Amino acid sequence: MELVSVKDLTKTYSKHNVVDHVGFDLHPGKCVALLGPNGAGKTTTLRMLAGFIQPTSGTILFNEDTLSKDFRKYVGYLPQHPSFYPWMSGEEFLHYAGQLAGLTKHEVSDRSEKLLQLVHLTDAGKKRIGKYSGGMKQRLGIAQALIHQPKLIMLDEPVSSLDPIGRREVLNLIRELKKDATVLFSTHILNDAEEVSEEILLMNDGKLIEQGPISEIRGMQQTVTIRLSFEKEPKFIHEKLKEIDSVYQVTEENGVFDVTVHDLNAARKAIFERVQEEGWELSLFEITSGTLEDIFMKAVNK
Amino acid sequence: MEEGLTLIQENLAILAPLFILQLILMVIALIDLAKNDEPKGPKWVWTLVIIFINIVGPIVYFIAGKRR
Amino acid sequence: MQWTVILKKELTENWRNFKWIWVPIVFILISIMDPISTYYMPIIIESAGGLPEGTIIDIPMPNPSEAMMMSFSQLNIIGVLILTVISMGTISGEIKSGVYELVLAKPVKYTNYVTAKFFSYWLLMIVSLFLGLLASWYYINLLFGDLAFSQLIVAALFYACWLTLLIAIVILYNTWFKSPGLIAFLSIITVIILSVMTNIFSHVLGWSPAKITEYIAIYLHTGDLDTEIWFSSLIALLVSLSCLLFAIVSLRNKAID
Repeated sequence: MELVSVKDLTKTYSKHNVVDHVGFDLHPGKCVALLGPNGAGKTTTLRMLAGFIQPTSGTILFNEDTLSKDFRKYVGYLPQHPSFYPWMSGEEFLHYAGQLAGLTKHEVSDRSEKLLQLVHLTDAGKKRIGKYSGGMKQRLGIAQALIHQPKLIMLDEPVSSLDPIGRREVLNLIRELKKDATVLFSTHILNDAEEVSEEILLMNDGKLIEQGPISEIRGMQQTVTIRLSFEKEPKFIHEKLKEIDSVYQVTEENGVFDVTVHDLNAARKAIFERVQEEGWELSLFEITSGTLEDIFMKAVNK
Repeated sequence: MEEGLTLIQENLAILAPLFILQLILMVIALIDLAKNDEPKGPKWVWTLVIIFINIVGPIVYFIAGKRR
Repeated sequence: MQWTVILKKELTENWRNFKWIWVPIVFILISIMDPISTYYMPIIIESAGGLPEGTIIDIPMPNPSEAMMMSFSQLNIIGVLILTVISMGTISGEIKSGVYELVLAKPVKYTNYVTAKFFSYWLLMIVSLFLGLLASWYYINLLFGDLAFSQLIVAALFYACWLTLLIAIVILYNTWFKSPGLIAFLSIITVIILSVMTNIFSHVLGWSPAKITEYIAIYLHTGDLDTEIWFSSLIALLVSLSCLLFAIVSLRNKAID
């Protein structure tokens, strides 16, 4: 049974569909990455799911509660650049957030103690947020999103502004989170998505262009680019590369050839055979794995 | 002479609360300035403004001296 | 109760940034300044010197109700300015900084958010106003003669209606604009336009909230309450209420970008 089901979700700002007929389901206990370049409509989608932007059309249905329109109590949300009251301490902010969500004073102090521990802010809890570093604010942001034990946790670009250590910490945290809740987080970095999520929603220009388990999406990535260059450019190299079965595109720039192939192993074998047969003076052989862009290009051109 | 002294004493009773309030205003403005992490403008300027411009100095600091 | 949670946060914030100390002090100072300096004017002029020997300084001392009106006219300018400036960023500032997004991600009712914020500033206004007028009343009794305490309270209550309207206007503009400076500017302009229009069309706008101060002067002088002061105050409160309703609606429909 799905936790949330989204149908035909659309948000229009001045005649432009920022989010354009997007539909998907979220299942309990899964971690889903909302992937897409900047400006794809990820943040707007998350904000509608968080319940504080009204969709222009379409529906968001929480299975827990199909009646009430306000599903904010089931959702924990961390915006991309969380901002707090600098005069409050981290602990005070958690208390405030928890009480806003309807927790009693007793519940909230219990919960905030645990969460401060989870995000490694126990010592800093009594300090003013004005003194916090960017990474500390990000972690406090996660803690405040979890304060009311939401069924769905949404994080908007949680790691993109962090240094490698902070990024690692937050990714580990996300792994912890999915034990108790569904996690939906947006990112424009494929690696982050691959690392912690089981499913991917791929957005571009307001549209959901691909969705499914990560293994399937990875399958789309099967076009791999091999980069070649030679000491001396062989004659008819273009034509000869194209003759290889699994090669479907060859481009050249300043003597560097980008060969796009379907089947890496077959292509590699074939290329090295030619190198031997023809005596090509190979100086560079590099496999560049499919980038997010490649996936987009494929999905968009499909 | 005696009369003049009582006049001052009388007036002091009237004016003392005025001075005390001004003093409190100045002191809390200075306390706030000391705790202010990022004042708009240099702290020493604000210190002078708060101490030397009666009443208006502290008010201007409270309104314009802090970033939100 | 969510409303009390937000109110408590607002009170704590304004306590920690000392608004609960400096605003009442400033209200007291501006209320007593003019009556006191008027009282000492002859001495000040005398000590300034430059007058020929034997000049008789004859400045008529105001009667208690006139002295009281000095306080009100100061409050009407500086008090209004200060109330506007301290509340100009109460919602817009949170939207601008982004903390609004965190607050609104919790199941917060717009009504609670707007009214709790309004009430926190209303409370600060009421406390400051009463302390200021009380101090002024004390000095007036000391320096100029008796003014009934009941008269002071009645005048303060009616005047509070006018300041209530001011705060409601500032709160409404808070939901329309992002820049606190613009909000303060427009609020002051609104009050000025209201006062000027009331002056020009004085004969037809007898119930205008901008007339409350005028009616208070009459009341302090004669001791009689005009029927029109009731109307002006009622209008002030009704318009305040609609400002708050509009504020709630406009916040609800606001797109965050």
